[in-house]
Amino acid sequence: MSIGHLFVELVLMPLVAFVVGLFMVLMMRKIGARIQRRVGPPLLQPLYDIVKLYGKRTQVSHGLIHDIGIVMAVGGYVAAETLLPVPGMNGIAEKGGLIVLTYMLMIPSLGLALGVGQCANPNGSIGIARALTAMLAYDIPLVIVIFGVAYHFGTTNLVDIVSIQQQGGVGAWGAAEMPLLAIAGLFALHASLGKQPFEIYVAPAEIATGPMVEMSGKFLGGLFVMQCFQLYTAGALYATMFLGGGENWLSFLVKIFAVVAIPMSIAYVFPRYKTEDLIAMVWKWPVLIGLAGLVLVMY
Amino acid sequence: MTGFDQLLAVSAVTFILMLASGGWRLSGWIAAALYGVQLGLLVGLAGVGVEPATLQFSVLGHGLSWKFDSLSWFFAVITVGAAFLAALYAAGEWSEAYRKQGGSLRQLHAALAFNVWSMLVLLSSGDLLSLFIGWELVSWASYWLMTLSGGLAARAALRYITYAMGGAMALLAGIVLVHSAVGSLEFAAVVSAVPGMGNGLLWALVLLFGAGFGVKMGLLPFHLWQAAAYAETPGPGAAFLGAISSRMGLYGIAVVLVQLLGLARGLELDLVPGYVSATDLLAWVAALTIILPTYTALRQNDARMLLAWHGIGQGGYMLLGLVVGDALGSAGGLLHVFNYATNQAVLFMAVFAVIHRTGTSDLNKLGGLVVRMPLSFVAMLVGIIGLAGLPPMNGFVSKWLVYRSLMIEEMPLLFLATIIGTLGTILSVYKLIHNTFLGQLRLEHEHVAEAPWSMTIPMLVLCVVIFVTGTVPGLVLEWVAQAQAAMGLPVIDYTPGGVASDSGGLDMIWVVGVLFAGFGVGALLFYSGGRTRRVHQLDNYAGGHFLTADTRYHYSDNFYAGLMRRIGPWYRYSFRWLEEALVSVVETLAMGMHGLYRQRQPALALLGLAFFTIGWAVWS
Repeated sequence: MSIGHLFVELVLMPLVAFVVGLFMVLMMRKIGARIQRRVGPPLLQPLYDIVKLYGKRTQVSHGLIHDIGIVMAVGGYVAAETLLPVPGMNGIAEKGGLIVLTYMLMIPSLGLALGVGQCANPNGSIGIARALTAMLAYDIPLVIVIFGVAYHFGTTNLVDIVSIQQQGGVGAWGAAEMPLLAIAGLFALHASLGKQPFEIYVAPAEIATGPMVEMSGKFLGGLFVMQCFQLYTAGALYATMFLGGGENWLSFLVKIFAVVAIPMSIAYVFPRYKTEDLIAMVWKWPVLIGLAGLVLVMY
Repeated sequence: MTGFDQLLAVSAVTFILMLASGGWRLSGWIAAALYGVQLGLLVGLAGVGVEPATLQFSVLGHGLSWKFDSLSWFFAVITVGAAFLAALYAAGEWSEAYRKQGGSLRQLHAALAFNVWSMLVLLSSGDLLSLFIGWELVSWASYWLMTLSGGLAARAALRYITYAMGGAMALLAGIVLVHSAVGSLEFAAVVSAVPGMGNGLLWALVLLFGAGFGVKMGLLPFHLWQAAAYAETPGPGAAFLGAISSRMGLYGIAVVLVQLLGLARGLELDLVPGYVSATDLLAWVAALTIILPTYTALRQNDARMLLAWHGIGQGGYMLLGLVVGDALGSAGGLLHVFNYATNQAVLFMAVFAVIHRTGTSDLNKLGGLVVRMPLSFVAMLVGIIGLAGLPPMNGFVSKWLVYRSLMIEEMPLLFLATIIGTLGTILSVYKLIHNTFLGQLRLEHEHVAEAPWSMTIPMLVLCVVIFVTGTVPGLVLEWVAQAQAAMGLPVIDYTPGGVASDSGGLDMIWVVGVLFAGFGVGALLFYSGGRTRRVHQLDNYAGGHFLTADTRYHYSDNFYAGLMRRIGPWYRYSFRWLEEALVSVVETLAMGMHGLYRQRQPALALLGLAFFTIGWAVWS
């Protein structure tokens, strides 16, 4: 592949991820609205929101680290998207793989954590402490799932994982071969999105929206962009591991929207857990299901 | 005189010079220069294969010899590099402050130089007897450095030397066993005799040597001495000890258990036939060494203690990689020695820079220092990203190698254990940087200045090393591959950016390049938005209240409250219980022996002892 071609891919992959992510945010709001018997926002509302936030006159900064935190939060996701293969584009997926991607996805969280820390607001710091605790909770079932997937396909190379599933047809999909791991993975994915009942670190009624408490204007806009990427990444990673990736863009989009719709539909009918209950919950069910799935895969 | 002789000689000269005139104002710079010379000599020795020392002699028919191979070189370069930067850190303003507090610079410099020299002696041992001599030298050298501060430090050091003597006894017993079975203490003779050894004897050797070296490494359950002993050592000493001292235990395990006894033989030793072998046992000890100390670190409220506990935990990754034993795993374990040393050194230096300026490392009495000490903040940030093992720093690469080898070797639970350790590290180091540098700047720290250049330059040098070896890990993997070859392990197939593999490789050059391109896009997006207005830290949301300078508005204590409500009870008693159990086992054994030779059979025991002593002397 020529350098020029690769460069185009590296530019296109995050861009596509962002646009798809915008529509996922729209979908999330529509699902919430329908469950609450409202109409929901119009098609371009997420885009309007971002433009509005970036253009606000009041942009309160608590210092350079506050700014850099937002840059890292968005930039980390922009970089991570190039490691996630999509139909027709592999980017640098073959130079990283499943483990690198998992750890790259921690960079935006680290950036956000640094930025919030600089704000010197205890609500924000408590929010980050809870977010990191949640990460410790859901990453344990997630790595069990990742190990099982890597073991089953015999590789951590995402491009190969996709091509193995596509050659074997639907019967060779991760979800068909490893149903228990697929369930545990969906569980962990839901927790990783931080939506109810796992919404411990935003908790508006308790810690004043946690990490977002001192975020105004384009700082909040940056977090909005980050959320678009986060939803897209969760859906695409799950589709890559369990649903055969994308044969073409149509099937790929159907899959990733379906994956993200599941936790969203659950989220809007649940209240929030306490932090310690979240840990107990996530360490019990998805871990048990995941371990059982791992045993099935390995023996 | 071989190149290795010159190295040892310069190292000894450094020690003598520091002993004679270490208290002189310029001696810190002289020490740094001499370590620089040693580093230069080491560079000259790179890749020469085996370099024997001229000095060899024999005692009671045993030849004592020293030689320098690629494995020794790898550890030596980290040792001397750490000493060089520690001496540089200590040379300028820090030494004035240390002298004013009543510390003896002569003792500090001499102890540091003696540590380096004794480690070089240990790293170049050519047979089991010289290994033991080197081991004892290193133990007492560390003890010297640890006691310098007196008070709490002396107590911690006493605890260390008690553990170390116990470990040395175990080693001595192992060496005697080897001698009685093989009749020689030469490495080559031992290697050729191992296939003929019985399982019982081998088990005894694995346990004795494992425990002996494990004490120094802080392997579970011998880890309880380490955190306090390292944390209480004066700044540069703590950075040096934290970076490399415990790794001498890993070197011992690499030489005796991996190189001499062999991993393949360890796999045949069954604890539970067919399921758990001696190698598995070591791997699980390593995994527990990762998890328990890391989560102990999470609960520390003193920055130095937090780092020291992490030092114990990170040792587990190295041992785990080494005993997994395939090309990727052992490369990951060895690479982590280097990577961890750079991370830990820079973190200790940053913490001691904060202590130098504010006088405390209590994580509940700091905060907001990033605006006053930005360079120290950068140093700590680079250090924590490396220690937590996230890209783009070097700690990620070595941990990635360990993860990958555990995947390839199909060890899901050990893999999970390493990830649990990494997650705990991320939580803990965020607390460290948040409580020290982020959040509210306290009133009393309003006029704190950045650390002096003599302290920031070593930190920034380490930051560059951490970043460059994270982006181009091939630089260090070259040394690691040579060390693997010297140990007789499978050699890693490395590229400049990492590892090439059909089943999922790693190319950090691309990953880091794309990451920074991503940051560029993020910055473009951010700075194209509206103009920001910088506000004072007290211009902050407080639920309608007005904040004043005397309001404590920094969340630091009980940082992971929700997590601790869940896992807090698991901590209770577990560590106390562990040490008490260890002590009572030793006590029971001692009482048994005591009873045997004092009360029951005084004459017989005395006769037996005399017989064995004379017999051993005559026979050897």
